[in-house]
Amino acid sequence: MEFIVQNHSSYPRVGDTERRQRLRRAHAAWERGDITAADFDAAERAEIAVILREQADAGVDVVTDGQVRWDDPVSAVMRAFDGVCLQGLLRYFDTNFYVRQPVVTGRVRRREAFTVDDFRQASAVSQRPVKVALPGPYTLAQLSVIDAAAYDGVPALAAALSEGLAAEVADLAAAGARLIQIDEPAILAHPADIRLLRELLEPLWAARGPAQLVVATYFADAEPLYAQLNSLPADVLALDLSCSPQLLATIAATGASKTLALGLVNGRTAHVESAADIARQVEMALHRYTLDALHLVPSCGLEHVPRTTARAKLHALAEARRLLTSTP
Amino acid sequence: MNRAVLSRLGITLPLLPTTSVGSLPKPPELLAARSRYTMGAISRRELDTLAEEATVFWLREQEALGLDVLVDGEMYRGDLVGFFAEELEGMVLGGPVRVYGNWYYRKPVIQGPIRWEQPVTVGWWRFAQGHTAKPVKATVTGPYTVMDWSFDEHYGDRRTACLALAHELRKEVEALVAAGARIIQIDEPALSTRPGELPLLREALGVMTDGLDAYWIVHTCYGAFDTVYPGMLALPVHSFSLALAHAAVDWIAHFAIAPFTADLCAGVIDVHARAVESVDTVRHRIEHALPLVPAAGVWVAPDCGLKTRRIEDARDQLRVMVAGTALAREQQDSGGSGI
Repeated sequence: MEFIVQNHSSYPRVGDTERRQRLRRAHAAWERGDITAADFDAAERAEIAVILREQADAGVDVVTDGQVRWDDPVSAVMRAFDGVCLQGLLRYFDTNFYVRQPVVTGRVRRREAFTVDDFRQASAVSQRPVKVALPGPYTLAQLSVIDAAAYDGVPALAAALSEGLAAEVADLAAAGARLIQIDEPAILAHPADIRLLRELLEPLWAARGPAQLVVATYFADAEPLYAQLNSLPADVLALDLSCSPQLLATIAATGASKTLALGLVNGRTAHVESAADIARQVEMALHRYTLDALHLVPSCGLEHVPRTTARAKLHALAEARRLLTSTP
Repeated sequence: MNRAVLSRLGITLPLLPTTSVGSLPKPPELLAARSRYTMGAISRRELDTLAEEATVFWLREQEALGLDVLVDGEMYRGDLVGFFAEELEGMVLGGPVRVYGNWYYRKPVIQGPIRWEQPVTVGWWRFAQGHTAKPVKATVTGPYTVMDWSFDEHYGDRRTACLALAHELRKEVEALVAAGARIIQIDEPALSTRPGELPLLREALGVMTDGLDAYWIVHTCYGAFDTVYPGMLALPVHSFSLALAHAAVDWIAHFAIAPFTADLCAGVIDVHARAVESVDTVRHRIEHALPLVPAAGVWVAPDCGLKTRRIEDARDQLRVMVAGTALAREQQDSGGSGI
């Protein structure tokens, strides 16, 4: 059985030390007009290279660019669509993080690929394969205000976003991305919409080409929806175990119909989990079923913890993998 | 309706009183001094002296702008949670965590039993009130937000951590009341984070305010208010200071689903907007709020603290806010204020 250690999506852009605050200072200098956009771009590239190396050094097999260039995941995607303007700040689920709320004022249409260049840049300097994580159409629609006659509700807007995101998935796959993640945390608060989510993900699934599609939920208990999540069009299902206390037992009892990415370190706590505990949980999940592959991931993006904590949590996952593969 | 509370406390305010939410921009020399202090290059006394000078600067500015209830501007604080975490026993500052864009805070870690040892804002409030004849509003970050914005490595559950903080922070507001503070704002930006925890927030604020004679305001911002309204009106405070100007949602229209039974401090300035709003925009925003709450119960403020702005931008925003309020007052006076 293959264990794959994967980063989830975001990664802290700055750290504790003066050196690791360079991007923050460059961002402020760019906003003041003290440096050019090209200077700021270079600072972002430099930090992304550091972050990619940091993940590889921690033992991560599939890394991300940390979403370093994004102010927040919602506005970063929605600003790439026509028919959208970005408004005031809105708390992102129950985190201490905020996003600019999109207001849909007309028909939404993806103007052009918006993550492909970042993916290519990251891949060019990364020692490890780079995954791209995008918020999904359902979650984006749920977090938007609809102020356009074209859409009479979340399903209609989400369907239009699904079309644009499917084109992005196709472009990423054509650019060489082999793992593309779609984040749908909002579905856990609206379980009755699971069939809608399935329909919304179909175009992305069809567009993935040679890439594998990961669908991720987090920030709430996924256990009540586990069986239905297994029926989504996805190659890999990423689950937040920190919010789902019964989920391991359910997985152990029922198995899985697709590859799982178990969120075994909590992306929102300062405590760094022990590798031995992580390995024990994996063994518990697998005590009845054997899977071809299991991904070990953080429960959500790591942007919600300090950099040193994020690095330590990734290292704990890699160490857990070592324990699991060295057990006779 | 809560004018009677203010009156009992000896505070008379004009129709549509204006105030700032709490934080104001720090002068560059104070920002530089805070960095030097962190590196050990200057003493705490030297830093405090600069913070005092900045406090007086902003008191004079607020007076000149014509604000009715002043704030000390929080020149001595880093951020709204970290400041209290540094001062409370049992909490330490962790590493930087991003809030939005290029904004970060050092997310505190609760490592042991939380204990309030001595007043942390009272000296600054007293200093500020000693430099102006206008009432100075005291501001304290609320227990729910301190809990929600910290890593808990000690208590193990949110309720226990929140109530422990409430009992300790009560000692701070007791000290403020004893020092003479009569308008006290509890900052709870996390108010709507988990709607199911509204009863916990109510209990915690009850611990903070019960039996203490003051005009209580709760400030919150950037939340999904529909998830906590009208339940939030049961919080034991006299007034709600709400960020309304930035929002894509017309919260005033939403609030009409139930009687707004408290005073409303309406946010009429988007503190994150690049451009300064017009006087007319401010007037419209105030008038939009007036059908919801009788004019006698409406305050006017920015959406949130102005510390992220440059000094000149914050000054312009407050000037526009005061001018827009003057127009709204004229309209009320000509049509009857209802006081």
